[in-house]
Amino acid sequence: MSLEDYRAVFIGVSFILILLVASPILSLVLPFSSGSEHFSEFWVLGPTHMAEAYPSNVRVNETYKLFVGITNHLGSSAYYVVYLKFRNQSQPLPNVATSEASPLEPFYTYMAFIVDGGTWESPLTFGVLKSSSYDNFVSVDSVSINDVVFPVNVFSAWDAAKNGFYYELFFELWLYNTSSHSFQFHNRFLGIWLNMTN
Amino acid sequence: MASAEVSEDEASLALTNAEKDLVLAYQAVLEAEQAGANVSSLVPKLNEAGEYLARAQVEYRIGHFENATNFAGSSRSIGDEVQNAAAGLKTSAFFERVQHMWFMMIGSLAGMILVFLGSFWVWRAFKRRYYRRVLGMKPEVVSGEP
Repeated sequence: MSLEDYRAVFIGVSFILILLVASPILSLVLPFSSGSEHFSEFWVLGPTHMAEAYPSNVRVNETYKLFVGITNHLGSSAYYVVYLKFRNQSQPLPNVATSEASPLEPFYTYMAFIVDGGTWESPLTFGVLKSSSYDNFVSVDSVSINDVVFPVNVFSAWDAAKNGFYYELFFELWLYNTSSHSFQFHNRFLGIWLNMTN
Repeated sequence: MASAEVSEDEASLALTNAEKDLVLAYQAVLEAEQAGANVSSLVPKLNEAGEYLARAQVEYRIGHFENATNFAGSSRSIGDEVQNAAAGLKTSAFFERVQHMWFMMIGSLAGMILVFLGSFWVWRAFKRRYYRRVLGMKPEVVSGEP
């Protein structure tokens, strides 16, 4: 190797060392992406705190227990709202393709502030307090959520294919958007089918 | 069953104010977090305020306007407390960050100068040794008879 070659090697090594020493300053100027995916986990668990034994055949004046939970992987603290809604088979669900929430009014709300990587969970007890039955219809008149009574008045027709009067208790996840300064449907929802034949 | 003491409009106003205050408290916490503050102590308080607000909304929906106003008031007072605490955390986090940046910049600059001078010194020493070795490789003139 000639002296010129050695000189080039020396300059190269010195440059790399200088870059290494300057990396704390460079990190302030250059934006380095973490590359991780941002998302939210949303779940409803059964009474045993597992994804099993969900209530399905529901009786009047009995209470059922569930757990609702969220984990934040959005990269910063987040403000979530969970809306509980109740519907029959013909009423609309959220539309995930168009990111639209169900137009049904919520009757119960949870609010959760979660740091990045953190988890929030809350128990939920619900029951049907009053229902009326007709020839081919059942009407759920009132339900209780966490010991608060709500009038709902939702009718359900007999489902001959599934042999039952079906209702769905569903949970919509909303997120506060700091850019638009409003809550937006977070495109996630979960539901539990309830058969009121009994 | 509606309350006689608090009207629906008053309860609705109390709810709207509590919702706004909670959003402001959340934004204050978010700003503190972005400034580098540890906001883990404030999040449980925000959740407590959120529980009160959710309860206020439930009471409002079932026509208990006085209860709705009381729960909204509890949510607001916690929200205000969180806002003030978050502003304090943001300020202290800002000064800590500035101090940290100065230490980092001075350390990096000193390191860069040391690397530069060190490389220069090593290069000079290497060059001297290289010349000495090359000169040492010169053929010696020896006298001899053919």
